Amino acid sequence: MGAKFINAVCATAILWACCGSSALAQEKTGAKSGFTLKPGTARIVLMRPTIRVGSQSTGGMSEPNADWTAQAKEQIGKALADAQSKLGNEVVSYEEGLSGEGPITSQYGNLFSAVADSVIEYQFFPGNRLPTKKHSKEFEWGVGPGLTKLQSLKNADYALFINTQDDYGSTGRKVLQLFAAMGGISVRSGVHIGYAGLIDLKTGELVWLNADRQMGGDVRSPDGAVKRVHQLLEGFPGRAPDQLAASN
Amino acid sequence: MLSLLIAGLLGALTSGTAVPGAQASVSLPPFTVGYEPSSVDERGIWMEADERERRLRDSTLTDRDEALNRYLRDVLCRTVGQERCTGVRIYVVEMPAFNANMAPNGTMVIWSGLLLRVRSEAELAAVLAHEFAHFELRHSLHGYKQKRRASDFAAWIAVLGGLTNTNTSALQQSLLGSVFQFSREEEEAADRLGFQYLAAANYPTIAASQLWQNIMAESDATAIGHGQKPKQHYNAGFFDTHPTSLRRADYLAEESKKVGDTGRDARVENLRAAMASHLPEWLDAQIKLNDFGGTEYLLQQLAAQGGWTGELLFSRGELYRLRGNPRDIVASVQFYREALAAGYAQPMLRRNLGMSLLRSGQKNDAQAELHEYLRLMPDATDAKAIQALLIQ
Amino acid sequence: MNRIFAVVAALSVAICTPAFGGNSLVQPGIQKAIARSSLSAKADGEWNRLARRDGKFVELWTRDGDSLNKVSFFGGVPIGEPLLREADKKNRPLPKVGSNMLITDIPALLESSYRIQFGANRFSVNEQEPATFGGYPGVKFSYTFINDADEVERKGEAIGAFIKDKLYLVTYEAPSIYFFDKDLSAFRSLVVSLQLEPKR
Repeated sequence: MGAKFINAVCATAILWACCGSSALAQEKTGAKSGFTLKPGTARIVLMRPTIRVGSQSTGGMSEPNADWTAQAKEQIGKALADAQSKLGNEVVSYEEGLSGEGPITSQYGNLFSAVADSVIEYQFFPGNRLPTKKHSKEFEWGVGPGLTKLQSLKNADYALFINTQDDYGSTGRKVLQLFAAMGGISVRSGVHIGYAGLIDLKTGELVWLNADRQMGGDVRSPDGAVKRVHQLLEGFPGRAPDQLAASN
Repeated sequence: MLSLLIAGLLGALTSGTAVPGAQASVSLPPFTVGYEPSSVDERGIWMEADERERRLRDSTLTDRDEALNRYLRDVLCRTVGQERCTGVRIYVVEMPAFNANMAPNGTMVIWSGLLLRVRSEAELAAVLAHEFAHFELRHSLHGYKQKRRASDFAAWIAVLGGLTNTNTSALQQSLLGSVFQFSREEEEAADRLGFQYLAAANYPTIAASQLWQNIMAESDATAIGHGQKPKQHYNAGFFDTHPTSLRRADYLAEESKKVGDTGRDARVENLRAAMASHLPEWLDAQIKLNDFGGTEYLLQQLAAQGGWTGELLFSRGELYRLRGNPRDIVASVQFYREALAAGYAQPMLRRNLGMSLLRSGQKNDAQAELHEYLRLMPDATDAKAIQALLIQ
Repeated sequence: MNRIFAVVAALSVAICTPAFGGNSLVQPGIQKAIARSSLSAKADGEWNRLARRDGKFVELWTRDGDSLNKVSFFGGVPIGEPLLREADKKNRPLPKVGSNMLITDIPALLESSYRIQFGANRFSVNEQEPATFGGYPGVKFSYTFINDADEVERKGEAIGAFIKDKLYLVTYEAPSIYFFDKDLSAFRSLVVSLQLEPKR
């Protein structure tokens, strides 16, 4: 068994171990200290979702991501519209229009994923924290100020990235096959991490990140989508506390 | 969606049944154009395929050369017929391995490694026809429905993405985002329907089997190059996504015997002309994969068709130089010199020949070549580094 | 089934705990025996040393996480060894350091390794020029690449040399957007301070 296989087993096992129990001891939301978002003050643009296969990818092995079928998009759209009222701010979908900025926006989406990965791996994950991040206790992450130059984003104050990552490859597949052979575990979409992050378009700072390590779950159903969106937007800056409690 | 509506309109104008000029022995299924996804599952998978297509469009790995894309399109339309090919969009992705796949919304993706490996237009047509057959038979939709119904892994794994041969290419790469995968039965069905298209389009049908024979030969060469025993299996393993290459070569050869179409034109020259401008780049990527056996096999195959051109000799020199054993370095010098004699004129040859000469202790000859490189490319990005080699 | 799942999960966690964590702080000042070799360098600020080992001869430093900035110290890779621990030794073996390799072979070795190991299909070596590595003649080069896994374009800058028949190489890689420029000068000051401690 190679080191890669062990790592994949470990990553999977730790994720499952933590999510199998009801008490989630690990931090899953981070925000820039002092950051708040007053209702009615900001225009938020929802970026196109970035779907990623994990770092151990092999030979074209990636499963269709159930989250982004038409039905899921429809449901998520509805759930977001509903959540908007609780977020208290206007949320619009990203439109490339005629700007030709599709490719560069994709690059930013990929970069956001890399940043979110780092936050999760090196700040959220207690066993793996970077010492420099540990003792400073600041939440200092970002994608740089280049976003401010994009024409297609000039009418917004914040960009909301909702990404999903399937940390999944040949070794991951083998792990799941192992469990399948033992019989009966019906994990629908495999090891699945979703996260939502808010980027301040003036500075490129990541002002808020929520990592949802909810596994499986069918986002194409109305309940699944609503639940997923609410979990992803849990702790969204500026939400009234009683509304937060109600949505849980 | 739009392309399907267009296809629908075109379909309304044509009969959309058998391809004109088809042989009597070949029967193609009736083709219904303008298919609209009707169920929630199908809409979902369509939408997702659209999203993936958008990412392909924006991707840094997609090859946008118009001439190449036009040629592929022409071969597809020639093979499956004009009314069928309008619903398909082809994307070439720069991946140095043999792979291709098809999504239910008509997105066909072909890896550059595949284009390097097909030996004739007929072999290329065999691949395009196979992929198109998945589209025609709506395979991924059935697979996806299966996933929804079943909650156990085995069925779910059957709809995993990708068209992967587990025992071929030295390099296994993942494609962008979601890819659609089919069951082994569906792969065989696509082979057989693809074969029908090949026959109907007047290509020599043995090409379909030959393709798999070449893949096996390359995989054997790769294994030997890595000091392993070559092995080809007849039966696929439980989790294998395709019938084995050996089995496919077999049943496709059987089918070809039945049709008995020796003497047809495989249009080798058409393919070579279309791929020529890309060959240097694709060979370069292949050589850098450290697969000596497989790459040597590919070069031999290319040379068998068109002779040892300057381009191929230069590539061979590169292959040997990069493996870098003392005898390889000596051999590379010989290949570079043969490339020069054959008229290869790229400055890079001088540089790399010079490097091989230096490594085999022929300092004076090395200096002559490196000086020539600097004379031809005074502003090369590595000019200063090469000058440092001259001083040592 | 849930019980089996719980048992396997618990066992896996038990096996895995030692593998995680243990990233250590690199204080400003001279760091010796980098990559368990005779390499030393002077850090002008804080860095993180990753516990994860990507190969027998490599040590990784980062500020924000290796997907955002990564300094790789390859400390004396001998002839016949690859740069990194091979992900798939059987089917995707990496090229090995060869005898009498030239300085211009160093970027080519890195390129080929990345193409095979990480699926970096778009890899281009940009400038290459002679440079001194801890007083020894070597090569400095820059490159751009995109990994298959995350499709983020990254830039790299590196310095390498063959010293007593072993390859020493120090690379810095970060996304082209924002991150590469952010810590470039910190990397360059590391490079200037590279030393090979004499063997006792």
